[in-house]
Amino acid sequence: MPVDEPRDEDAALMLRVAGGDTAAFASLYDRYHRSVARFAHRFVQDAGKAEELTQDIFVKVYRHAGRYRATARFKTFLFRVATNHCLNEVRRGEYRVTHVVEEGEEGRPVEMPAPEAQSPELAVEGRELEATVAEALQRLSERERVAFTLCRFEGMAYREIAEVLSASEAAVKSLIHRATLSVARAVEAWQAGARAPARSEA
Amino acid sequence: MSCTIEDELTAYVDGELSAVEAARVRSHLTSCSDCRSTESLLRRTVTQLAALPSFEPSSALRRRVLAQVEGLPRPWPERMRSWLRPSALAPAGVALATAALVAVVMGQRTMSARAERRAELAVAENYELLSDYEVVGLDPADLDVVEHLDQLEKEGRP
Repeated sequence: MPVDEPRDEDAALMLRVAGGDTAAFASLYDRYHRSVARFAHRFVQDAGKAEELTQDIFVKVYRHAGRYRATARFKTFLFRVATNHCLNEVRRGEYRVTHVVEEGEEGRPVEMPAPEAQSPELAVEGRELEATVAEALQRLSERERVAFTLCRFEGMAYREIAEVLSASEAAVKSLIHRATLSVARAVEAWQAGARAPARSEA
Repeated sequence: MSCTIEDELTAYVDGELSAVEAARVRSHLTSCSDCRSTESLLRRTVTQLAALPSFEPSSALRRRVLAQVEGLPRPWPERMRSWLRPSALAPAGVALATAALVAVVMGQRTMSARAERRAELAVAENYELLSDYEVVGLDPADLDVVEHLDQLEKEGRP
């Protein structure tokens, strides 16, 4: 008879969470909250909303811990919950990104401070690049955005992303290529001084 | 019109192709300037994206999440386990013993209440006798005393 044996430390912690162990939950939170918050931030481009989503996602993980099977990697389980939650909330319109960043506009959507070591010029350039990428992400399809974000900002392999999206690796390869090319064209256009819209070729 | 191999370029840059596929792309790049240009753009962009600063959630978020989770009802397996712990069973045993004691005491009280009712009936039945002696306020248990008062008085005389 197959037994769900924990495949890694995260899985073992998650099995303890299923039994109501909040200390185990805190360990998983400490390990993954930055990744989840970054992921959520890419969807809503707002610090407060990203934190709300992150809170919801971790509470969901705790509440549904009993459904977790140690045969799946915890990270995959976590990002599947995160993806479903972010997409559902964005579809519901509560976290719709309404702004379009124009050059020189105040209150840019990204509240990430530039590293102090950077020169002011580099800091400004970094913020503009960030805004360009954020804008390009909003033009991607939902699945492209998820695949791109997991790949580029969380460093997940195509195989892992395929598990999160319940898709084939070939499909993920295609999603990531279209998304990356689209963002690359947008960045290229920004660098060329023009802000031409970069449409996904999907 | 782009080459069909262009679709492989991002996976090539990400190192996600098999050795055979990667060799095929490498070979194509030597002869296709459009794909070389695209591959260069992709590689540059991937490097730039990796250098972007990351969003950092506040430390208050941790407190909020853990407080919310602490406030949630415990899962059933955990609740069952907590019920079966010695620290939970001992107070439960005490509670059970207390309940048994209360039942015994209540039973005794019921019995004494019955006895009291029987005494009241005796008072009612002998009301005439008692009123004659103006001793209605006496304890009904003393009815025997009342009944044999004459005799006792005689005996009590010097």
